[in-house]
Amino acid sequence: MKISRLFLKLPCAGLCALALLFHSCAGGVAEDQIISAADFTEDILLERLINAEEGELITLGEGEFRFTRSISLDAVSGVTLAGAGADKTILSFSGQSDGAEGLMVTADNFSVQDLAIIDAAGDAIKIKDGSNVKIQRVRVAWSGGPKASNGAYGLYPVGCDGVLVEDSEVSDASDAGIYVGQSKNIVVRNNRVHQNVAGIEIENSFDAEVYGNVCTDNTGGILVFDLPELPVKNGRGVKVYNNEVRDNNFPNFAPEGNMVGIVPAGTGMLVMSTRGVEVYDNQIEGHYTFSVAVASYLINNKPYDDPGYDPYPDDIVIRNNNIVQPQAQPDLSRELGVLLNTLFAEGTYPEILVDGIEPPDRKLNLCIKNNGEVSIATLDAGNNYAGLHLDPSPYACNSETASP
Amino acid sequence: MPATAKQPALSLTFVCLALLLLLPWQCATTDFGPERGEVRYDPSAPAAPLLSSYGFFSNLNGEWTPNDALIPYALVSPLFTDYAEKSRYVYIPEGEQAKYHDEEVFDFPTGTALIKTFWYPSEDGSERWIETRLLLKRAAGWEALPYIWREDGSDAELKVAGGRSKVSLQRMGQSSLDIDYVIPNKNQCKGCHSFDGRLESIGPKTRNLNRDLEYRSGRRNQLDYWLEAGLLDRLPPPESRAALADYLNEQEPLHDRAMAYLEINCGHCHRPEGPANTSGLYLSTLEERPAQLGICKSPVAAGKGSGGFKYDIVPGVPDSSILLYRMLHDDPGVRMPELGRSVVHAEGVQLISDWIAAMEGSCAQP
Repeated sequence: MKISRLFLKLPCAGLCALALLFHSCAGGVAEDQIISAADFTEDILLERLINAEEGELITLGEGEFRFTRSISLDAVSGVTLAGAGADKTILSFSGQSDGAEGLMVTADNFSVQDLAIIDAAGDAIKIKDGSNVKIQRVRVAWSGGPKASNGAYGLYPVGCDGVLVEDSEVSDASDAGIYVGQSKNIVVRNNRVHQNVAGIEIENSFDAEVYGNVCTDNTGGILVFDLPELPVKNGRGVKVYNNEVRDNNFPNFAPEGNMVGIVPAGTGMLVMSTRGVEVYDNQIEGHYTFSVAVASYLINNKPYDDPGYDPYPDDIVIRNNNIVQPQAQPDLSRELGVLLNTLFAEGTYPEILVDGIEPPDRKLNLCIKNNGEVSIATLDAGNNYAGLHLDPSPYACNSETASP
Repeated sequence: MPATAKQPALSLTFVCLALLLLLPWQCATTDFGPERGEVRYDPSAPAAPLLSSYGFFSNLNGEWTPNDALIPYALVSPLFTDYAEKSRYVYIPEGEQAKYHDEEVFDFPTGTALIKTFWYPSEDGSERWIETRLLLKRAAGWEALPYIWREDGSDAELKVAGGRSKVSLQRMGQSSLDIDYVIPNKNQCKGCHSFDGRLESIGPKTRNLNRDLEYRSGRRNQLDYWLEAGLLDRLPPPESRAALADYLNEQEPLHDRAMAYLEINCGHCHRPEGPANTSGLYLSTLEERPAQLGICKSPVAAGKGSGGFKYDIVPGVPDSSILLYRMLHDDPGVRMPELGRSVVHAEGVQLISDWIAAMEGSCAQP
């Protein structure tokens, strides 16, 4: 094995050295091909993207690039849009009057890296129906700070198979900083998300790993949701580990009607109606309302009409997290906060919540252990909180994983 | 000087010119025939930089006139595009036919062109042509190409990046409104014209073509005309053909008009095969599930588009319905449709508002 690898690498290294000899720039892109911020007009990038060829690298130089319209890539596989750095190449959409996204991509094997998207009229980067898409070292923000009028999502892959979002930074999104929806085979790692409503949200998705992220000062740190009435639903298989989830107490600024609008400020993690979710080895610290909650969609009292939808969270493991929760007032601007305030006396707010809404025909498999000195409250929300208790024993388990 | 054998070239030119001049007159009496004009569109050739290259229009005395091989068509209920007027033509190569379909757009043969010109009336009554969008059926599928007319009208130029055009909108009984008309770029074309990820036409389907049109030979049902002109391979009897309501015709049932409006303005994206499928909101006349039509449906990724409201449609309460809210706003992150609209369609808003107001039921909690 080792020998054959070396064999392959040697000629490759030689070729690379040759290539470097003939090209003056170390980055591998000739200087004259880099789109320069000087004399830039949006049509230059629009046309490059529209006329892109398979596997093309489109490089933007340092500086600010201003847009009045969405930019988009469609159907061409393997295109990379790269800047010179998330603090150096700024795509500004503050003058946008057309298109609902900053960058909209419907293509496979797409990569975007080393640039910033600022002030998009709607979502900053939306990638729909792509296979193997990557977002790396990208920054998204709205320059007016967190506002309801900002776009919903910062980084928004939806309907994708094979998603990598890493080393990126998102703030000010009026829904989720990083939102992966209706997708499968997902990795979200080593990102920094702050002052969004939700830091990271995985929704109606399959097989996601969320790790190494720092989620601070959002309304809610990490959300794992499954919603009805969508073409892809009953999501399963989400691992959330080694994240730093801290001080997510930012007042919820999502426009009402959006699912994330229900999240009270002071939410660490919320797992709703998803199966096969493992939450472990996270630092979850400083949340006023709760640290971790497991709930059914039914707790929202929202009507839905979808016989194929399973509203119950199941096969959930919450273990070995370091949870530190201050005794503070829950967010009374949201129903869940008001509820906690009603059900518990000051100074006794539980760290972990289970709504306790059970399906009529089966017992839910919920495992909660080794999270330190925390109280686990079962709300019995389906029975008007009649059976509310703090007994952790229903969640005792031997399993380390969420497999049923 | 009489034409002599010494000047054969000249006389031939003269004859050709005379024939060309006669052609429009001949065609006034037949809508189609052996003299179908000189369309120079090769579906295997790359997009031409100038619209005139295709020969779809001929410049006759300074006016661009559709080639005789182009068949005009109109939709029962058209898409709203900032009150632009639209002229639509279909070109199908001679001897080829589109395959009829009950519900979806017809399956057009390679070499077909759908030619749609967007224009506004000028104050002097002339037509100010803004853009002509071509949908060209290649062997590999449709390609959408936006051509923008020059200010002097001398030709239209391919602009894959689209563009903008200042338009002074004259509305009856209202002062004129200056709008920044947006010509979609090539990718945005597919933002609407997408079916399972491939480009597809939207308008020419049975239920939206099923109406009369004034042809030079007289008034006819368009589907009948297409069959007789050899454009269609077959056609079921009239009673078996679906028909969309004309949403502007107040004589037709409110529900049918509203559904026709939603289908043509929203349903190309909001359908299971369309670009907005992840919303779960499907606005087609074929959709029957109330939740999928938006009734008491919570939004998914609406962001500020929710307007602070909880449901897409609240029966009886248009003012609390997200659907109407998004039709009423023109922030690009709020408005619906996302593309092709920068002003509010007052008549559409009124129709959808009336429709929601007339709905019974409520979004009571379960």
